[in-house]
Amino acid sequence: MTLSLFILFLEQGVASGLVMGSVYALLALAIVIIFKTSEAPNFAQGDMMMGAAYVALYLLVFRKAPPIVAIPLTIVVAFVVAALFRGLVLAKVAKSSGSPVNLVIATLGFSYVLRGLVRGAGVGDTPRTFPPLASTDSIMIDQASVTILDLVIFGAAILTMAGFFWMFAYTKLGRAMRAVGMNPKAAQLVGVNIGRIHMLVWGLSGVISAIAALLISPKILMTADMGSIVTLGFAAAIIGGFNSLPGAVVGGFVIGVSENLVGLFISSRAIVVAPFVAIMLVLIVRPQGLFGGRTSIKKV
Amino acid sequence: MVDLLEIEAVSASYGRIQALSDVSLKLQEGAIVALLGGNGAGKTTTLNTISRLVPVTSGVIRFDGRAIERLPSHEVVRAGVSQAPEGREVFKDMSVRENLDLGAHVRRDRAGVRADLDKALDYFPALKERLRQKAGTLSGGEQQMLLIARALMARPRLLLLDEPSLGLSPLLVQKIFAIIARLHADGLSILLVEQNVAVALAVSSYAYILENGEIALEGRSEALRNDEAVKRTYLGG
Repeated sequence: MTLSLFILFLEQGVASGLVMGSVYALLALAIVIIFKTSEAPNFAQGDMMMGAAYVALYLLVFRKAPPIVAIPLTIVVAFVVAALFRGLVLAKVAKSSGSPVNLVIATLGFSYVLRGLVRGAGVGDTPRTFPPLASTDSIMIDQASVTILDLVIFGAAILTMAGFFWMFAYTKLGRAMRAVGMNPKAAQLVGVNIGRIHMLVWGLSGVISAIAALLISPKILMTADMGSIVTLGFAAAIIGGFNSLPGAVVGGFVIGVSENLVGLFISSRAIVVAPFVAIMLVLIVRPQGLFGGRTSIKKV
Repeated sequence: MVDLLEIEAVSASYGRIQALSDVSLKLQEGAIVALLGGNGAGKTTTLNTISRLVPVTSGVIRFDGRAIERLPSHEVVRAGVSQAPEGREVFKDMSVRENLDLGAHVRRDRAGVRADLDKALDYFPALKERLRQKAGTLSGGEQQMLLIARALMARPRLLLLDEPSLGLSPLLVQKIFAIIARLHADGLSILLVEQNVAVALAVSSYAYILENGEIALEGRSEALRNDEAVKRTYLGG
């Protein structure tokens, strides 16, 4: 391989990787905020994203709604459905058993319900294409070729993350969310309404998933199984340490870039294993993940 | 005088283990009432039934005449009951300042919160230099002070204090109790849980002694100080 080809591949891999990585980072964020506040991974995250993608598809294609209506409406639906699932279902499960295993199983159930609804509603029976919300004309960044859509995806993902981090760090609501994740008992003692915070965290996670869905759907084929892409969000979360929000973002970019570099330099058939090789490498060097803190010992 | 807090025949359990049975106690506005007893007697559980972290199985808890034993925990804080829990219940990865701000979570009066922050730092000057420091890096005594200051930030009418002297040096115990006396002088009502019986009886006006989840003995603190049985069991002589 000549040097100029090497540089071309490198630039292209990094550019495409950052675009996909920004969406994985969103998915990882959505996973980690729920994990941090409820101590259980949400296995319905992928299907929450898939559901939101189909809501958007329904509005845009079947109802011919303009994006300015369809996008906010999709986000609102994602918020409400996720918050209600937490408030009506998970809250009951948590109260009656409190064991993380039961919570995980409830999220699995939610994921099957969502997939069943999409299949049963007749929109998810055949693969569909999602209308791109921006032009797919290519532009060159140095030697790398990306589409306008790619730039929109990257920009929207970064803006979403920035808004989220600002909310989490500087608002009263964000502070209460962090408090619940850090010490739920103390949060109750200072008067935080824990049930409400849990619902809002789920709602927020639904919103982030919906934004990820709107961004990624034009680039992939839509089926009722498209939620499996969230596996890469989990991979990103693991690389970041699973309880670190900045870690989730960095993990997303690591996965996106390594996927694309492997595809260009090794073989496109090796893409699917790249994230898992990345996970293994990170976990060998840093078992707690890139940003993972010390594992906390829980008091009984 | 009106009873600010009135607990009437309250029972509570953890699963099948009975933690409290028929506990009754009263606290008048402006008073310090001590709740004493050995390990596992149910002192902390009593506080946590008031704060609604532990559900009551029967009985009534009235605060300022209003039944609160079915309210969610945040409503109890809003009603004016704030707990400074024992030990390490700080938000350890947050700054001292953020911990204090969270103490005022239920309040909306910004100016009042600012004034109360100054007041809390006036009570606990040690925290002033550490506002930006992470709470988890404070010493045990400083964390204890932060917990009390955090509880004060809710501007409570009733402060529930759980073992403020636990694990502290005699000098720090003295310091903390001087502050408790100051809070009392400023008109705050306090329900004080303590293992350090001598100090607790000195600062309180009335005391209850819990044994195995039941009130074994109650009386004016002055009288209990001179009670032979109390002396033998709790005051080491």
